[in-house]
Amino acid sequence: MTATDTLPIAPPQRRRAVDADRRQAGAGWLMSAPALALMLTILIAPVLLAVVLSFTDYALGNPGFNWVGLENYERIFTRPTYAKMLGATFTYVLTVVPLSVGLGLGAALLIQSLSRGAGVYKAIYFLPVMATLLAMTIVWQLMLHPSIGVVNRGLEWVCAQPALEGLFSLSFLGLAPESTWFGRVCSQGTPLWLGDRDYAIWVVCFIGIWQGFGFNMVLYLAGLTGVSRDLYAAAEMDGARSGWERFRLVTWPALGPTTVFVVTITCIRAFQAFDTVEALFSPGGGPGKSAYVMMFAIYEKGVTQNLVGLGAAITVLFLVFVMILTLIQRWFTERKVHYA
Amino acid sequence: MTRFSPSLIIRHLILLIGAVVVLAPFLVMLSYSLKSPAEIERGTGGLFGAQEMMVDPKCALRSAPRRADVEAARDRFPGRDDGAILATLTEEANAACELRPVVFNYRSAFQDAPLMRYLLNGVIVTASIFLLQMVIALPAAYALSKLKFWGREAVFGLVLFCLLIPVHAIALPLYLGLARIGLTNTYAALVVPWIVSAFGIFLMRQFFMTVPDDLVDAARMDGMSEFAIVWRVMLPTAIPALMAFAIFSVVAHWNDYFWPRIVVTGDRSLFTPPLGLREFQAGADGNLYGPMMATATVIVVPLIAAFMLAQRRFIEGITLSGMK
Repeated sequence: MTATDTLPIAPPQRRRAVDADRRQAGAGWLMSAPALALMLTILIAPVLLAVVLSFTDYALGNPGFNWVGLENYERIFTRPTYAKMLGATFTYVLTVVPLSVGLGLGAALLIQSLSRGAGVYKAIYFLPVMATLLAMTIVWQLMLHPSIGVVNRGLEWVCAQPALEGLFSLSFLGLAPESTWFGRVCSQGTPLWLGDRDYAIWVVCFIGIWQGFGFNMVLYLAGLTGVSRDLYAAAEMDGARSGWERFRLVTWPALGPTTVFVVTITCIRAFQAFDTVEALFSPGGGPGKSAYVMMFAIYEKGVTQNLVGLGAAITVLFLVFVMILTLIQRWFTERKVHYA
Repeated sequence: MTRFSPSLIIRHLILLIGAVVVLAPFLVMLSYSLKSPAEIERGTGGLFGAQEMMVDPKCALRSAPRRADVEAARDRFPGRDDGAILATLTEEANAACELRPVVFNYRSAFQDAPLMRYLLNGVIVTASIFLLQMVIALPAAYALSKLKFWGREAVFGLVLFCLLIPVHAIALPLYLGLARIGLTNTYAALVVPWIVSAFGIFLMRQFFMTVPDDLVDAARMDGMSEFAIVWRVMLPTAIPALMAFAIFSVVAHWNDYFWPRIVVTGDRSLFTPPLGLREFQAGADGNLYGPMMATATVIVVPLIAAFMLAQRRFIEGITLSGMK
């Protein structure tokens, strides 16, 4: 607008230009006002409210509240329940993120190397991303049913075939059947899966990976199309003959920006795991609270049990984790993980 | 170049094993939705079930012959004792309650719970969210990309900041706010937290930046108001981006379970499809696995079918957030 102001135009035109600028500014404010107001009330205010409530003992329905200082945070860091919560959350995140990123990259590389059938695999692997997670969790629950589930039926069937049992329990290598997982399943009975605290969190992780790796695959496939053919030719001239060398020297560095993004978004999604835990382990959070992830804790403490202060403190902790992740991502992106 | 090199076969083998694991739950869901309770219990019937006639247990219970029925039927069976008459009547009643397992499962899914209502709620909620998101995001995106006004950079900065806040994470304070103004257990509660999508504003703003200014200037010359420009000039150019965002939004909210779980408590007439299925699961006994899987199938299939029809658009839409 300054450009038009400084131009030597005749006064009436200039006035029209100023009017037009003013109209534009008015329209601009009018059009962004609803979005601005809603962002402030729906997104920013709740963050502030969570921070404030985390220092109180507020409960829904109470007329007032007391300030309790850091008591809620103190509880989170001293009570065993919350140690379990943090343990379950980080077990979940640290399992699901590397595996679903790794599987996504692996699937993308394999699919990209195919000339036929690539589209079919891509579509199949993407199906769980679209499907209602709650519904699919209930299906997995049925599949893992200790007596009538297809997983244990399958295991029992394999155990009944001496050749296959020998193969999977590695007893053909001379190992005692009891020393492998499969051997124990065959001799001591199939796992209870969801009812067993040694398995519960891993089943939740498995469902998370099953659901999410197709998303990462698609992002990696998009990233792979951006890797220049010339780089491979150049690497080959420099003596990178094997597939692994080409991957290490060209593909992996070129996928740097994609990887930073994929890891961040997978982390944030993993921190938000809720549907699986609620459908499988509500109330309580699984055998021995082994699957008591943060989102579920916020729901159970803050909403179901009306311990708002505690729920708010967990919310704040959660937001801090997300902020840290984003800062790490920014730092990586600013270092320009970009070679292509 | 051989067409079937060992490495190609190994690659296909790995991908096939992966595909089996990925597809297994979908097959189990579909297969169980077709089978009778007995087949599910015994693990027989293959993929589609034998589809032998079965007796609907609820119907049988409802029409089981009572004392009065036996008295009334004495004339039909002269000379037989009550026990035999009762047995014959029970047999007749059961025969009237026979049906194929697939019919039993899907009919129970719709009759035992108001599944139609849940689906309708799902449509109402996802459609309202998307429409409101657009009504709010499009003018804001236009203002942020094409209009010059004081504070524009600050507003855009706020949008970028809001991109970092996962709405699920702030569900507790949002819920408290809605509860204080008495909005829990309403459609509004299901829709309101989502109507301002920082991502939607950001995405459309980036798209509008690529629209030439000349187009906007020409429209102004024609005397169009700024609001008319948004809806009659910018919107039509943005259809592809809008479609992608629509898919992103609809998939996310059709499948969302966390937020509806929090704000809808008990009032079944407001249940979204995932809430309805969850209630089914909570009350399920062994007999109801078939109907439960039928419910799950009904909920999952619409999006899967749409995905099959427009794969590329769906993948673009859902991975939109990959373009941030």
